[in-house]
Amino acid sequence: MNRIEEAKKEYKAAERKKLMLILVFVVLVAITVPITLGFGVYKISLVDSIITFIQHITGNITNPKADTFIWNVRLPRALGAITIGAGLSVAGAVMQNDFKNPLAEPYTMGISSGAFFGVVIVIVSGACIIPGLTGQSAYMVNAFVFSIIPIVLILLVAKFRKVTPVAMILIGIAVMFLFNSISQVMLLASTAENLADAYSWRVGNTSRIGWSELPLLIAVTVVAICLVWTLSRKLDVMYAGDRGAQSLGIRPNRLRIASMTIVSLMTAAIVSVSGTIGFIGLVGPHIARMFVGSNNKYLIPASAAFGALFIAVTDTIAKVTGPDGLPVGVISSLVGGPLFVYILIKCRSKVWM
Amino acid sequence: MSEIVITRTREQLKREYYKALSRKLILLTVCITGILLFIGLFSLSVFDSISLGETYEIIWNHIVGNNDYEPRSLEWWADRYIWNRSIPHILVAIIAGCCLSICGALMQSLMSNPLADPYTTGISSGACFGAVTAIIAGITFSSITGEMGIVTNAFIGAMIPALIIILISARIRMTPATIILIGTGISYFFNSMVTYLMISTDADTLKTAYIWQVGSLDGMTWASVPLMFTVTLVGSILVLLSWRQLNLMSLGEESAVSLGLDVQKFRILCLILMSLMTAGVVTYVGIIGFVGLVAPHIVRLVIGGDNKYVIPLSMAVGTLLLLFADYVAIQFANLPVGVVMSLIGSPVFLILILYNHKSRGVLY
Repeated sequence: MNRIEEAKKEYKAAERKKLMLILVFVVLVAITVPITLGFGVYKISLVDSIITFIQHITGNITNPKADTFIWNVRLPRALGAITIGAGLSVAGAVMQNDFKNPLAEPYTMGISSGAFFGVVIVIVSGACIIPGLTGQSAYMVNAFVFSIIPIVLILLVAKFRKVTPVAMILIGIAVMFLFNSISQVMLLASTAENLADAYSWRVGNTSRIGWSELPLLIAVTVVAICLVWTLSRKLDVMYAGDRGAQSLGIRPNRLRIASMTIVSLMTAAIVSVSGTIGFIGLVGPHIARMFVGSNNKYLIPASAAFGALFIAVTDTIAKVTGPDGLPVGVISSLVGGPLFVYILIKCRSKVWM
Repeated sequence: MSEIVITRTREQLKREYYKALSRKLILLTVCITGILLFIGLFSLSVFDSISLGETYEIIWNHIVGNNDYEPRSLEWWADRYIWNRSIPHILVAIIAGCCLSICGALMQSLMSNPLADPYTTGISSGACFGAVTAIIAGITFSSITGEMGIVTNAFIGAMIPALIIILISARIRMTPATIILIGTGISYFFNSMVTYLMISTDADTLKTAYIWQVGSLDGMTWASVPLMFTVTLVGSILVLLSWRQLNLMSLGEESAVSLGLDVQKFRILCLILMSLMTAGVVTYVGIIGFVGLVAPHIVRLVIGGDNKYVIPLSMAVGTLLLLFADYVAIQFANLPVGVVMSLIGSPVFLILILYNHKSRGVLY
């Protein structure tokens, strides 16, 4: 009896620790956002920027120029960055769980190459799915529509025959290579400026985010994260393997397709706004897993919080490097790569396998 | 009563066995025929005033040493052109195709992961980093400069990730997941350095670096062949001989250990071998993608997962894929070979996945 009590206590303590860790990440995000407002091309000191921010809320604006910068440029960018980080990281966690594959990431199904293909079509031919649309909004619409093609394809295949996880991954690889090669052919036949445009779209960037696209982005991400979080118990059971899950009363294939579709739609929305930001979707969940373990009830919020924190911090560093400096994707790999290897060695984690 | 059942199943089994065997033989025959055809076609594209049959004659005559044609006659020119321009190119394509697809098959078996390819441990990004530092910053890790400076730099860079993994493996227990994750971390790091260097340079240097990154078989001479050939030959033989161990690995780590295989050691040895092979090829031709990832999958989709057949047939399929793509790339459009390969290969791959029957005992 005593032992049971002890085990219970230990379990409770471990749970509290996990909750605390998640809370710490959330608090850090909350601290980072005001700090990141102070960085950018137009020099505003840290204190001033926070004062400006508070003044805007209270409706007592003393410095209109600083206010415009903070409110119209930096705040949407910061909010966009944390949304993207959280969304991609959760998408990665779910994909890795679904396919029981540590190499799976939000783009495994070919979403990024589909989006890129859509953008290349706009850049090279000027045509958009919705006629008459041009510029940034045309990029976004096309990117979104084309990035869901791979998902639709997998759903269609799954409708008519049983698809194993491996087959899904292979379909993703095939679609990715197909889209990428067509985009490359189109770009190589095109001019150097078009190539540069496409390249700069592809390297993920948070600087394009403004108030117009932010509400939709946040709404989609929050809804998707909540949806997969409610599925977290069922997702846990997938660790038992397909047969084990089946005998525990879950339809693994159905669950896999459902959760994959949810996170893929979210990823498509993110990619169409920000381009392909790599690294966080693959590595974010792994780092979160090292802190809180594989239990999805904690893993999903921890991934979201860590992803948000990581992109918020690296985006701040990206802003420090200047207007023509490094995009956030490059910074995050540059900082995160060695960090990740270090954590991996330190933790000697046995979470996978 | 029971005897009848057994004989019937045995006959059935036999029939199935022969059917499976014939499928393997057909695939092999198709590949070899295709490879031979493209050797001729390719030589023809270099020197087009002779017929297809004559190209084979000229190649054969050169191999047996019967090539003392009258100077400046048609055959003499044909011999020179084909032997000095077409044959090295073809050989490099064959070696690269073999090497990359065998490494892909090996990596997928070792990691039991369908997403693994020869570059999973970060070899490509390391090589790329080495080459790009030589091209853009002009920094070489050795005293050699110029064209060979890029080659040596790429080779040294390619070995860095493998070295890191080996060093770490001495300290912690390595599971496939750890190896993959460390490789991913390293390659992200190198890739971001490459992106940084590429952003900070001018357009012309960027183009050189970009072409290196995409991979190209152009301008291969006899000088590139010996190292690649030796590494690939030795490596391939070693891998082909270890098909039993690889099949054990596919049963899962615990089963493999209980069947008497030192999994940790075997995996590290294979990683070293594979790094050397891939580095040897990547150093000369740049990063050619697709073939290493997809060729083994195509083979498995057609004939099943037995490594005894998967490895040699992957070599054949990979070589055919690369030669075909290279021929099309040169003949019809001035495109990088990797692009053409994925353009042609991915629909084939998609169709194979969609029409794959479970009965063939496929995959993991």
